[in-house]
Amino acid sequence: MRENKKLAPRQIMFGISLLLVFGFSVAGCGLGSTNAAMRGQELFQNCAPCHQADGSGNPQVGAPNIAGMKAWYVQAQLQKFRAGTRGMHFSDVEGMRMRPMAVSLASDDDVKAVAQYVESLPTVKHAPTLTGDAHAGDNQFHLVCASCHGINGEGNPDLKAPRLAGVDDWYLATQLRKFKAGIRGNNSKDMEGRLMRPMSRVLTDEDAIRNVMAYLDTLNP
Amino acid sequence: MYERYITAASTYAHSIDHLFLLIAALVGFWLILAEVVLFALVIKYREKEGRPTRHITGEEKELHRWITIPHVLVILCDIVIVVPAILVWYNIKQAQPPAEQTVRVYAQQWAWSFQEPGPDGKLDTEDDIRTVGELHVTVNATYHFELMSRDVVHSFAIPSFRLKQDALPGRTITGWFRPNRVGTYDIQCTQMCGLGHALMAGRVIVETQQDHAAWLIRNANPSLASLPAAPAPVPENTTMAEARR
Repeated sequence: MRENKKLAPRQIMFGISLLLVFGFSVAGCGLGSTNAAMRGQELFQNCAPCHQADGSGNPQVGAPNIAGMKAWYVQAQLQKFRAGTRGMHFSDVEGMRMRPMAVSLASDDDVKAVAQYVESLPTVKHAPTLTGDAHAGDNQFHLVCASCHGINGEGNPDLKAPRLAGVDDWYLATQLRKFKAGIRGNNSKDMEGRLMRPMSRVLTDEDAIRNVMAYLDTLNP
Repeated sequence: MYERYITAASTYAHSIDHLFLLIAALVGFWLILAEVVLFALVIKYREKEGRPTRHITGEEKELHRWITIPHVLVILCDIVIVVPAILVWYNIKQAQPPAEQTVRVYAQQWAWSFQEPGPDGKLDTEDDIRTVGELHVTVNATYHFELMSRDVVHSFAIPSFRLKQDALPGRTITGWFRPNRVGTYDIQCTQMCGLGHALMAGRVIVETQQDHAAWLIRNANPSLASLPAAPAPVPENTTMAEARR
């Protein structure tokens, strides 16, 4: 007849230790949420150190206000960074900072998820940081920019032209300068960027840029 | 020995490897010996019935030599390590051979960018080539690099060259290397520099003189940029022609 053996305390402790080791080993194995909205929020944690948790940006590190930006545009720009068609110019310091962050998104689904999360963030409008002649800027804007970006700067997804109303003036001015200098929009695969370069040259000097910014500051997102 | 695991592609890679091997052998010998002796003594003199554990102060003469003899031997080994270490340090970090080419390396969060002379062979002239993430060099040529940081502290490391040098904001640090094997090698940042540190990588492409000359001409002349690339492998997501100024 089989003898009924009791487990010794040492064996019990050994068993508990093994379970604990296994538990600790798999504790960090979470693969992230499968829900797209939750996944986007999780991924945005990598963006928050520069763009802030509410997506309102941080001019100190050149991170723009992206809160409420349309998903199609965020997605397109992230894909450009990932492909190296943006953020690969020697003088594009902010672009080069952004590129590895975009590359860290493992899949197209992740790009889509984080872009949708960005769009879901409530829009934030900051006070103007640049001064200029808004009236002159109004004329210039409707002469040059409105045909693609919309009469009220609301953007046009069909032309892949992003919303400008409500976007920080310092950021738009910086990008215009980069387009003018060929720092952005110089890659042959960046079709929209290449289209923007000649447009940016229409704003011939710093005053013209500031005037358009002063006008855009009067628009609401 | 280390070359089995990571290519040695610069003239001083082997002297670093030999130094590592020497340190690993000497330190490893003493580590293993000390552990063997420790465990042997623990087992030999463990508590047994009728023999209580004895408290040892280490002051007796026969016990004291267990400390002094290994101590002297370890110091001798230290000297054996320090002498070649100083020689290697001097040859790599202090005595710089004359440069055949000079390149400028910029570190920033989180990318490497480079400025190299164009076909005229001189820096800070019109035909300079500026690249992001890729450094093109000629095999068997001595390069000086001027290392700068645009923001925080980084560290410029090319493991296959056995090269590592910190980049400090506000300072230009000069170093050198002489690649001796054609190929593409990783550049890594080895100083924690922020959120994207792990992604701050680049490549150094060591080319033959002919391939490098072709690359120089293609990149110094935008009209030739669409010609087929040199045989050196170019990463899919790196477009050198566009990275030019």
